[in-house]
Amino acid sequence: MANVHEEFLAEAQEIIEALSRDLLLLDQAQREQRQDPDLLNEIFRGVHTLKGVAGMFGFPRLGRLAHGLEDLLDDLRLGRVALSQSVLDVLFEGVEGFQRLLTETDASEPLVDLAAFAERIASVSRRGPAVRGDALARYAFDESVLSVLTEYEEHRLRSNIEQGVPLYRLRARFRFASIDADLEALKQRAKPLGEIITYLPSAEGGTGDSIDLDILLASGEAFETLREALSGEEATLEAVPLAEGAAATGGDEGTPARPAAPGQAPPEPPAMPAAPDGLLASAPDASLAMSSQDAVTPASAAVLEVPGAPVERSLRSVSHTVRVDIRKLDHLMNVVGELAIVRSAVARLTERLRGRSEHRQLAIELHRVHRGFERHLEELQDGILDVRMVPLGQVFDKLARIVRQVARDHGKEVRLLLSGQETEVDKLIVEELSDPLMHIIRNAIDHGLETPPVRELSEKPPTGTLALHAYQKGKSVVIEVEDDGAGMNEERLVETAIERGLIDEAAAEELSHDEALNLIFLPSFSTSSSVTDLSGRGVGMDVVKTNISRLGGVIDVESELGSGTKFTITLPVTLAIINALLVRVRGRVFALPIASVQEAILLDHDALRTVEGREMLTLRGATLPLCRLGEYFGIPRDPFEADKQYVVVSAAGHRRVGFVVDGLEGQQDIVIKALGPSLRQVRGFAGATDLGDQRVALVLDAPGLLEELLSTTDRARRELRG
Amino acid sequence: MDDSHAMRAFIRAALEEDDDAEVVEAESGFVALRVLPQQRFDLVVLDVNMPDINGLELIRFLRKSPTHARVPVLVVSTEASERDRERGASLGADAFLRKPFTATELAERVRALLAAGDR
Amino acid sequence: MNDLVRRPATGLSRSGSASALRPQLLRELLAFVLDGESYALPLYAIREILKVPPVTEVPRASADVLGIIGVRGRITTLLDMRRLLRVAEAPISKASRVLLVDDGVEVLGLLVDQVLQVHRLQDDEIELAAAFAGNVSEHVLGIGRPRASRSVSREGRESVDPNDILILLDPAHLLRRER
Repeated sequence: MANVHEEFLAEAQEIIEALSRDLLLLDQAQREQRQDPDLLNEIFRGVHTLKGVAGMFGFPRLGRLAHGLEDLLDDLRLGRVALSQSVLDVLFEGVEGFQRLLTETDASEPLVDLAAFAERIASVSRRGPAVRGDALARYAFDESVLSVLTEYEEHRLRSNIEQGVPLYRLRARFRFASIDADLEALKQRAKPLGEIITYLPSAEGGTGDSIDLDILLASGEAFETLREALSGEEATLEAVPLAEGAAATGGDEGTPARPAAPGQAPPEPPAMPAAPDGLLASAPDASLAMSSQDAVTPASAAVLEVPGAPVERSLRSVSHTVRVDIRKLDHLMNVVGELAIVRSAVARLTERLRGRSEHRQLAIELHRVHRGFERHLEELQDGILDVRMVPLGQVFDKLARIVRQVARDHGKEVRLLLSGQETEVDKLIVEELSDPLMHIIRNAIDHGLETPPVRELSEKPPTGTLALHAYQKGKSVVIEVEDDGAGMNEERLVETAIERGLIDEAAAEELSHDEALNLIFLPSFSTSSSVTDLSGRGVGMDVVKTNISRLGGVIDVESELGSGTKFTITLPVTLAIINALLVRVRGRVFALPIASVQEAILLDHDALRTVEGREMLTLRGATLPLCRLGEYFGIPRDPFEADKQYVVVSAAGHRRVGFVVDGLEGQQDIVIKALGPSLRQVRGFAGATDLGDQRVALVLDAPGLLEELLSTTDRARRELRG
Repeated sequence: MDDSHAMRAFIRAALEEDDDAEVVEAESGFVALRVLPQQRFDLVVLDVNMPDINGLELIRFLRKSPTHARVPVLVVSTEASERDRERGASLGADAFLRKPFTATELAERVRALLAAGDR
Repeated sequence: MNDLVRRPATGLSRSGSASALRPQLLRELLAFVLDGESYALPLYAIREILKVPPVTEVPRASADVLGIIGVRGRITTLLDMRRLLRVAEAPISKASRVLLVDDGVEVLGLLVDQVLQVHRLQDDEIELAAAFAGNVSEHVLGIGRPRASRSVSREGRESVDPNDILILLDPAHLLRRER
């Protein structure tokens, strides 16, 4: 049952992530005074499932928390309790609680006070008076229809009738072989138009390989619009007939009891569904359709703007996905790495055969076979890499939750703009990225964005904007975090650096604007005079920088006093397999990721100069600082090494350095593997890789080394001058 | 049929302990509608609360379909509202099992249902 | 595509020597040689014994790190047991072996001069460090005095006097490292 238990953990984690995403959308809808019954039901279902599995898999405390929340959500979706900000707060706390309870073990201190939380739930669960008319009696429903509705479906039906939303029945024929996909497609088409109350399989219609389904739909759209969108060859749409003598609309005519849900145009009398709409007669049909589209993703004034995201939410019910433990993919990747080594051995043997005239024909055939092998191997490699890719949206969702929380804690108004969450990166990168991003964001809200009164003084809108923007650029992914807050005060940064003894005054005078901003990345640098609970969790920007460079990335900062700050993180799309240049340094082989190599040239001793104690090379008119890797790493000299040396020009961001090496051993695709935790504090290496024949080579962390070299260059320069 | 894959994995493991049971899973009512007509089943285990097509509708579908009109149906659910439970019974569900349950409880209930069906 | 929840730390507890003192575990020991002396680690701490693969040095690593080795596709840090115990250094020889140990955080390799055999010791063959007052390094749990007859011979040869004493090491203390 061990596997089943892992299934539980994986599913619980997935549900919690989905809940937190859905709650944010619910929060947004609430702020826009929109109701979204589907979303609320989705959240209810998530908690309901969580409660069910928690009970089964021995997480009684998680089950208790879920039970309490489920009751609250049931009241919410059945309209017995009204949604409010304080209810939302409790829901958000609940999701935090789930997360913590998952990590709680028998031995640990309880991480969640369940009794206190139960009281919190009780405090917001005040039920409104139950109003139950005989709304259902207004339509002539078949008793067999009413008998299969769950309590919730019945409630949604009532609620739509009470609000005067017309009801339709779509009868459609589906082939069994593809019914799940076809239904899902229909559901997606219907979604922007109205609310599907239920699907009723009917046994009467249909043939041996197909079935008729009655779909009960509530929609404010014109009959024609619906018919165009939903009915086809094997589907017919009709209005549900009214009961005799009943009036369809409830309450005051024309003024619905609540604002229209997304995609729902104002209710119209169902008695004449096919007649031209009197209210909107002046608007052509096309623009009507457009406006309902717009309502789905409001273009402005949203607190959380997630273009395109809502559509994805419900796709998970019919999925063709397989969940895979990432370790299994790592294993596959290792196998591919081994195969790549086999491939190069075959290539070598082929080459040797070629040299012998008696085997020429064999060599040619072998060569052809080898080419095919090579191609398939590449395909396999790409395929596995592709499987490892996940959208950055996963991290963004987590961050959105934090933004909401931090903003509330600090009395700040924050509008979060997200874009590019579909950008894909390696799963491992996504995992490692959340902490650094979280830290930058906490900082931005805590120190960057001002409180509403302060913002108004500087003639800014009271709500601050925080933008998370991701996009792919070649083989890199760029993530920008930008705020329109106070910006960084260059003078204060420099003062602090001097106070902390990080630089001396003479050096300070020579700092450029960029260099001054980059001071924040120095260890033990923090401008905040009071360490607040959120951004001051003992981690500085230096840790952020180290973590990002461990992923092979670079971080840059731009800031203007008074108008905001922008961090730009550039990362490789994938970590797993990279093309590397193998270099020999005093008999040792190191791998240098090709991504950071510009060119490799023979070292021309005549072009060498020494500037302020540093070796420099003049390369096509530009000066290139050099680093002799052997000396830099303190590797003992190899007496057999030839005089000939090479310079590998390496770049990261706008920085360049030439690494002096003793030999070039060719390019190779390598699988980067992490060094063990005991070597984590060793800087300068991104990991190691198997070269075959049991040999292991270190992979140089080029961005990290460049950073390190250039900052010591700067220091050396300043020391010489000062 | 259950929309929780952990739950399905649990139920599958519990059922497969027994003899040579062959278990087919469906993660939604949509999928169930595709899977059910493809073959005969000796027993259907389903949850009432599923999205889109709920368990009640599926029971009705099963009872009306020629192949599965008499297949034993075991409904597993958390303390579903009495109302949903009653409706399930009136539509023709054979037994209910309340979550959480143990693998043994499930296996016993299933054995009893199958034995009753054989008679 | 969800990364399943991380595997709980198995292997040794890092809480100190208490766990290593559980008697039934302590009785099974793997004896090895360092600079002519016999040492022993509890058998449960050892995952595997390997011949020494090619070692890649890691510049800038701490002194007790010999380098890294590839063990079936995993990069494993190799520590020099001589350096850990501060005994004189010696080159890797044919008899040298790597003991793979899991300290709960990672699997580490420990280089020893030679692996001897597995001992099953009775309580009266073990003298705990707590019993003899004095200056013993904290990674020494005690002294084992195996009676020759109980030894389970490995590779069928005896290279060290069987009446020799064994210095019993506490893996949790030995491997406590800054990370």
